[in-house]
Amino acid sequence: MHYTYDQFGRLRVKLASVLRNVLTRLLIFLFGLTIGLALPWAWWLDREAERQFAERQWTQDSRIYGRPLELYAGKGLSRSDLIIELERIGLRPGNPARVGRFRDSGSSIELHAPAFQFPDQNQAAQRLRVRFSADTVSRIEQSSAQALTLVRLPPAELGNLLPSGSDDRTLTRLADFPPLLVTGIQAVEDRQFRHHHGIDPRGLIRAAWTNLRRGGLVQGGSTITQQLVKNLFLSPDRSLIRKLNEAVMAISLERHFSKAEILEAYLNEVYLGQDGAQAVHGFGRASEFYFGLPVQALDVDQIALLIGMVRGASWYNPARNPKRAQTRRDFVLGQFLATGLIDQAQHAQFSARALDVSTHRQRRQRPNAAFLELVARQLRRDYPDDELRGTGLKVFTTLSPSAQLAAERGLADGLSRNEREPNELQGAAILVEPSSGEIRALVGDRQPARRGFNRALDAKRFVGSVIKPFVYLLALAQPSRYTLVTPLDDAPIQVDLPSGEPWLPRNYDDISHGRVALMDALANSYNQATVALGLDVGVSALFRLLAQLGVEPGNEQHPSALLGAVALTPLQVAQLYQPLAAEGYSTPLRAITQVVDADNQEIGRYPMRLRPIREENALALLDFALRHTVTDGTARGLAAHLSDDPGIRGKTGTTNDRRDAWFVGYTRQWLGVVWAGRDDNAPAGVTGAATALPIWADIFERLPSLKQAAQWPESLEWFWVDWPTPLLASEECENARAIPFISNSNPTALSDCFEPVSTSRRSRGRRR
Amino acid sequence: MKIKMKIRMNAMHRFQAVRFHFPLSLTTLILLSACATQAPAPTEDRTVAEQVRAPAAEQSRGLQVYPLRNPAVTELSDAALAAEQQGDLDQAALLLERALRIQPRDPELLQHMAEIRLERGEWEQAESFASRSFDVGPRLGELCQRNWRTIALSRERLARFDEAANARERLQACQIEPPTRL
Repeated sequence: MHYTYDQFGRLRVKLASVLRNVLTRLLIFLFGLTIGLALPWAWWLDREAERQFAERQWTQDSRIYGRPLELYAGKGLSRSDLIIELERIGLRPGNPARVGRFRDSGSSIELHAPAFQFPDQNQAAQRLRVRFSADTVSRIEQSSAQALTLVRLPPAELGNLLPSGSDDRTLTRLADFPPLLVTGIQAVEDRQFRHHHGIDPRGLIRAAWTNLRRGGLVQGGSTITQQLVKNLFLSPDRSLIRKLNEAVMAISLERHFSKAEILEAYLNEVYLGQDGAQAVHGFGRASEFYFGLPVQALDVDQIALLIGMVRGASWYNPARNPKRAQTRRDFVLGQFLATGLIDQAQHAQFSARALDVSTHRQRRQRPNAAFLELVARQLRRDYPDDELRGTGLKVFTTLSPSAQLAAERGLADGLSRNEREPNELQGAAILVEPSSGEIRALVGDRQPARRGFNRALDAKRFVGSVIKPFVYLLALAQPSRYTLVTPLDDAPIQVDLPSGEPWLPRNYDDISHGRVALMDALANSYNQATVALGLDVGVSALFRLLAQLGVEPGNEQHPSALLGAVALTPLQVAQLYQPLAAEGYSTPLRAITQVVDADNQEIGRYPMRLRPIREENALALLDFALRHTVTDGTARGLAAHLSDDPGIRGKTGTTNDRRDAWFVGYTRQWLGVVWAGRDDNAPAGVTGAATALPIWADIFERLPSLKQAAQWPESLEWFWVDWPTPLLASEECENARAIPFISNSNPTALSDCFEPVSTSRRSRGRRR
Repeated sequence: MKIKMKIRMNAMHRFQAVRFHFPLSLTTLILLSACATQAPAPTEDRTVAEQVRAPAAEQSRGLQVYPLRNPAVTELSDAALAAEQQGDLDQAALLLERALRIQPRDPELLQHMAEIRLERGEWEQAESFASRSFDVGPRLGELCQRNWRTIALSRERLARFDEAANARERLQACQIEPPTRL
């Protein structure tokens, strides 16, 4: 070290020199430190960016779809139901020249259905005209007026499986995005994208200048690559360190991956809003969420709106801030024009359009909650949780959106009509296609969008007289002992319960009706006659039958089960009645038909399965008696609620103190179960005939139905039978009715009214 | 004195069309023989299904009873037949289910499904669908024979030999004499 001594300034000179020396060394040290740390840091970032990008896996939520609507000439479908179905698919009124629009012109509906990837077929968008005559499809035409035999519309998306609060996206390949979206996003977000190496210094300087001029952070100046890096790897804070990391990683991505790969990732990753608890990522999902359309079907103005939202998805949310969103969209359209992506005429045309966002999904946060719950349970039973979550499964189900809406409305309206005070009653409704066992609608709450207690699946309630047909089925399966006309004794009866207490069942009207025909005892739901019959066929036989039909009623086999002191869910009741409605072929009720993975490969199939019930003939007799119940028994009020009765069979059920009201009714096309009561199981003032039956009728009135002639097993033999004592009669006898019998079980004694042929001719003449 | 008082309600009038069906059966025969050479049999049970169908097709000069077909159903069942001939039984079953959603009580569809199930070795399902087809079908003629042949084969495979013998017996009752033509 060099010292110079001076009389006055000695010390100062020395200090300055030392300081300079220390500072220099410090700077050199710091420079070395920076190099030594920054280089490994940059190297590490580079490696991480490459690894993470290469290994990234998008989570896609699993989607649940309704049954695709099949259109063909002769299909029973009203115009209003088709419109409901179209709206559930995501179509809206408008000019059908555009994908996703339909137009109702009175006698026909023109529609432009979007493309859909069915597991077995990649179906393109198609423009159709559907003609109607009354409530039937009469003809389907392509735009060229050429008739089509069969059209399968895309299925309605019912919701996601097990929404986990995670992200949601619909993965789309770069080639499948509309070209305008791919070029447009570059025009607006990063015009130098094709040329830069991850960062764009000119853009940064421009952004810095703008920010300086206007004060604060106004313009980002990030390239698409930087935005992608930020979204994929970094926290959202705006620090300088993060900005540096972002730049390093952006350069790194550009070194290792192609522009196409980066752009594809960006278009699938960018945040575009919120669907409840789930983040909407990528243009594929955003297109479905905001417009109900696949991204390929978007029009210029819709693309502009979504691109505009990249800058701030909630700030420019078209549903919440429509004005702001429209201004932003028009700005984007201006950018399209400025860069030559659209011409002046297009610009004028599309800026003039109003925002049209499908608010359907936002309006009903979780539609079809009860049905989705059933689907989720069936899937969880069959697949481990990690196979279901985030893997992008497509689950095809049996739900009919229009039938579901009919059931929801019918139940809600019916309950409010029948309750003593508002919102006192709750209910459930299920609609099933009998022969396939496919569940078309399921409602577990009078407010169908509410999640929570799902009464259709979980409300175990006493079923009352709804159980009786199964007691009678057991009797009819013994044709040597019981036929439809066998006299039963409806008289006071005492049953000694295992507890030692006597049980004295009473009839609903507190009257004993004496000798009644078996089919009348069922139709009028006489309790005393049923208990006598049930004790004869055996309580344990009843429990075995229920188990055979796929329902486990529990082990406590008490005689009061004969009158429906068995707690079952509405879904179980539907399962019990399914083989009755399906002419003796039992099939497990199904909500799911097929499950495919994100690549459309089938991973699960739930095929239709049939099992013949052995008592085919007895079932046919029971079917006859349940028709008798609707025409002459406890359900005879049904006709007054219906414009047309296509041969409905049914049974009412009411439990003690009017706690539960049930009605089960079926045709060959529809099996419907309705339950109503109070959640706390208190007396609710409801009955099967007065509460549940009108609800059932209201739902049924909203469904398409075709008349179908009954077809009876070939081994049944029909006889004219006279009343009240069952005697063989002829058509001429006044009270004679045609009754089916299992071979050789018919009565053999002749009625008094029966006369030899010559006399009967005379009597016929008399009647005339 | 025997008095007629039985009323049989399960008469023939429920079928809208009664016709002779020789040409179609000939086509079926050609198709079947074609598929025997073209498509490799996925399992040995493929021959089982052909056994069910072919003999009936040969004897198809009897009276045939067919309900009127919805063209949409025809389209789907044709596609199902094509899928079956290419050995894609999964797809054939899917297409038949779609057709059955349109006409759940079509005896031809139900029998076709029974034969697909037979080819897949699902004996119980084959038997169920065939007997359902019989219940709602013409109960005579070619379809009836296919019904009972399928039922008999399924029961044999399930080692229920007595019931299979019953089915073979029932098969004989399918044939009725065609009305003499003038």
